[in-house]
Amino acid sequence: MPRTSLRLDERRFNRLALIALTIGFGALVIAMIAAVRVFDTNTRSTERVRHTYEVVDQISLLELQLERAETGRRGFLLSGSQYRLELYGVNTLLAPRTLAKLEMMVADNPAQVARARQLRTETERQLLEVDQSMDKAMSGDVAGAVRDFTNNSESTNIRRIRGITSKMRETEYELLRHRSAIEQNALKRMQAVLLMTGLLLLAVGAAAFFVVRRYTTDLAGARNRLNILNTDLEGVVAERTADLQRANAEIQRFAYIVSHDLRSPLVNILGFTAELEETNKSLVSLIERAEKDAPQIITDDTRHAREDLPEAIGFIRASTQKMDRLINAILRLSREGRRTLTPEKLQMEKVLGGIVASLEHRLVETGTTVTIEKPIPDTVSDRVAMEQIFSNLIENAVKYLQPGRPGEVILRGRKEDDRIVYEVADNGRGIDPRDHERIFDLFRRSGTQDQPGEGIGLAHVRALAYRLGGFIDVKSELGQGATFLVSLPVTYADEGVGN
Amino acid sequence: MNDQRPVNIIMVEDDEGHARLIEKNIRRAGINNGICHFTDGGKALDYLFNHPEGPSKNGPALILLDLNLPDMSGTDILARVKSDEHLKRTPVVVLTTTDDKLEIERCYDLGANVYITKPVNYESFADAIRQLGLFLSVIQVPDVDI
Repeated sequence: MPRTSLRLDERRFNRLALIALTIGFGALVIAMIAAVRVFDTNTRSTERVRHTYEVVDQISLLELQLERAETGRRGFLLSGSQYRLELYGVNTLLAPRTLAKLEMMVADNPAQVARARQLRTETERQLLEVDQSMDKAMSGDVAGAVRDFTNNSESTNIRRIRGITSKMRETEYELLRHRSAIEQNALKRMQAVLLMTGLLLLAVGAAAFFVVRRYTTDLAGARNRLNILNTDLEGVVAERTADLQRANAEIQRFAYIVSHDLRSPLVNILGFTAELEETNKSLVSLIERAEKDAPQIITDDTRHAREDLPEAIGFIRASTQKMDRLINAILRLSREGRRTLTPEKLQMEKVLGGIVASLEHRLVETGTTVTIEKPIPDTVSDRVAMEQIFSNLIENAVKYLQPGRPGEVILRGRKEDDRIVYEVADNGRGIDPRDHERIFDLFRRSGTQDQPGEGIGLAHVRALAYRLGGFIDVKSELGQGATFLVSLPVTYADEGVGN
Repeated sequence: MNDQRPVNIIMVEDDEGHARLIEKNIRRAGINNGICHFTDGGKALDYLFNHPEGPSKNGPALILLDLNLPDMSGTDILARVKSDEHLKRTPVVVLTTTDDKLEIERCYDLGANVYITKPVNYESFADAIRQLGLFLSVIQVPDVDI
């Protein structure tokens, strides 16, 4: 079944699409996290580099200030210039601040903190020594100060400071290198993750594209098949209709042939019965003559034969005639089935009025009244078929009266959506509910068989109602009258059969 | 009837009973012409076209034709007779149980001269055959050119 496979495909497609979408979103989230982290790592590493250079700067600054203080002192001791004195004063003031700042900057690294402490000791000693020699020089003892300066080991002091600062610098660079290496690795990993997610996204996209494409192809195929089916449907309907027509024609033909072939022997039965009757007349007259002239040759048997023979012939004749009527009824039904229906606008008031008028004689005879309840909806249908339906129903209503009760027949109609329901209601003898189905069968009748008829009328009515696209129903209780309901389409639609 | 030669009545009827009843009633109408009875189409055609006593070789005839035959349809015989140079003027009376309108039209189209539906009611049947007898007693049948 193409429909089921289509639905299965749809379900599978939906599942696949959902999975692809989820994977795609997951990959996007991962990519985003990775990107944020890459950015973050970059920012941090820049920060570190900056910090390292700041530390190194600070170290250099400290060195510079100490050197300048030293230079200031030496210059002052040699020339006593005011400029040198200022140089010395500013730098001895600045150097401790720079040191303090440096200490703050390396506070996170215990090794550097230790070195910084060492540096502070050396710096303080250097500054103290410089201060002492400057104080001496300022108080006038320049020669004493120079002597002290020459004797003192201040040069070794400066050298030690340089040693510490260069170690600190190296440590900072080393730290930077180490951290950069770690971050580089992290970056590489992040890049790999980004690449992977990118590839995954590409793969999911490609897969989704193929699934969508396959699905649309399937869908287009299904639509094409549907189109073909649709256009083919008419052909199929035509084929089925042709089959039905053939079957119907077969049945009609069967009914026709059977009834004709049954008629042939009937001609013989009736014919030779008539011949027998004719012969019997001469026999009877012979017996009568013999009875008169020679009564002794007449036996009781002969006498009986005289009465029995006409009786037997009478039965044969009556039965055969009934059979002929039944066969004719089948023939009529078969002919009715083949008649072409020609729908036309029918004013039901006129149609029913015409039928009632044609029954006038019987109505007067039986004292029955027929009332048409107005308004009664009109219809588009086959006139002959409609006349046959309603004349049969009205005739029945007039025929099967409740003894001792004057007949009253009411004809009415109402519209129900796209159908019209006509009713023929009487107050007659009614129909046993057990017979409600039976009465529509061919040759079947209900109730006391005190009225002439073969049980053809209602079968005929039902066949006609079916042909007009309608149906017939009955509501009745024994002795309570009967209501026949004929439901028909408002407009008779051709059976779609090329009659 | 024909003054020179008696008209032969050829009856093609598969039902023996029908044939007997038809013959009885024709005789009752006072017709004494010879009646040749065939119960199937083949023998009838053979007689019509080839028998030395048959109408094709010898003398005028009138055909009473039933349409429902065991070996062929009566309309085939009708068509053969009406398309034959010698027999086409031979009157054909179709006497059958079929009362289908189309079938009747077809028979007249093929050249049937009279189409009678056998009434089931015997009185009507006998009456129809007797009237046919009266009809046969007055019609002129052309001589067959040999």
